[in-house]
Amino acid sequence: MDMSNPAAFVNGELLPNYIGKRVRAVVQVLQSDGAVTIGKSTDDRQLTVRGLPQVPPMNYVEVTGIAENNQLINAEIWTDFGKKFDINSNNMLCRLANGEFKSLFL
Amino acid sequence: MHSSEFDGAAAFAGGGFMPSQETQDPDSSFYSSKNRDAQALLPLTVKQISDAFQSSDDKSNVIIDGVDVNNVTLVGRVCNKAERITDVAFVLDDGTGRIECNKWLQEAVDSIEVEGISDGMYVRLHGHLKGFQGKMTVNVFSLRPLNDFNEIASHFLECICVHLYNTMLQFSGQHNNGQKTLEDMVLEILHLPTNRTRDEGVPRELIARQLGIPLDKLMLAIKNLIEEGAIFEAIGDHYKSIIG
Repeated sequence: MDMSNPAAFVNGELLPNYIGKRVRAVVQVLQSDGAVTIGKSTDDRQLTVRGLPQVPPMNYVEVTGIAENNQLINAEIWTDFGKKFDINSNNMLCRLANGEFKSLFL
Repeated sequence: MHSSEFDGAAAFAGGGFMPSQETQDPDSSFYSSKNRDAQALLPLTVKQISDAFQSSDDKSNVIIDGVDVNNVTLVGRVCNKAERITDVAFVLDDGTGRIECNKWLQEAVDSIEVEGISDGMYVRLHGHLKGFQGKMTVNVFSLRPLNDFNEIASHFLECICVHLYNTMLQFSGQHNNGQKTLEDMVLEILHLPTNRTRDEGVPRELIARQLGIPLDKLMLAIKNLIEEGAIFEAIGDHYKSIIG
């Protein structure tokens, strides 16, 4: 088992707690030019992601990478979740995984 | 009369060379003596497995939240997949950690299942957690790619729910010293199948009547259970268990 490089579940609100660390966030792509992607987190905050390829607008993408600042993630791995995604359960999971049940995740 | 014919069946039965009936199917006799609860399928995070493994003295058997871990279900991304003739090995990264997994390819259907999986893909796996030579690995029974990515959040929420359920069972077990508390009895009533199906919850008068206790005494127990997070008020003066 290798526990050295976990990725914390984050939404827009929780991202600032992990600057310089590995995070995973789901963003809905609003604008994407192949270099910088602007999207919306599951708690409806604007996030910028660097290093994503061009993704169809309005698709949900899960990004795993390093949190560079309060609003910017440098993507290492990404998965296109498509257009249908339940943002509420993801947002709730982010809160639980950083709150009462953090010990199960980090 | 002495027979000079070689009796193969007699020579090999129990001789230690051929598999006898007991050794052919050791699992069935082994498991049948075990409690069904001890064989529960646990949804887990890799972090939970790692924590339990670190704190366990017996590295071949881990216990999480008071439950013996045998079969597990995990959701994560496949990495470092290496296919061989007899088996496929890969690492599952669920974001909380990475764990080595192994699947034996016994039948053609196993190979077909594995062929569709590639590095970077999200999968749901079911398997048996095994400690061997100081390492934890998952012996995978089934492996399938995720079609609906909501399953990721639902898996981790299920991990939280099962953790809460198992830790609460332990918590209530520590307090009753062999005797049931009023809180346990209220929970038992709420967990009755007929009451579980009531979306509106069970009226407090009915619980008090079934237990044969005054309402004010019942309300003390209900207040404790609400504070513990075990039950909630569904509609006015109707109560429901969180696991029902």
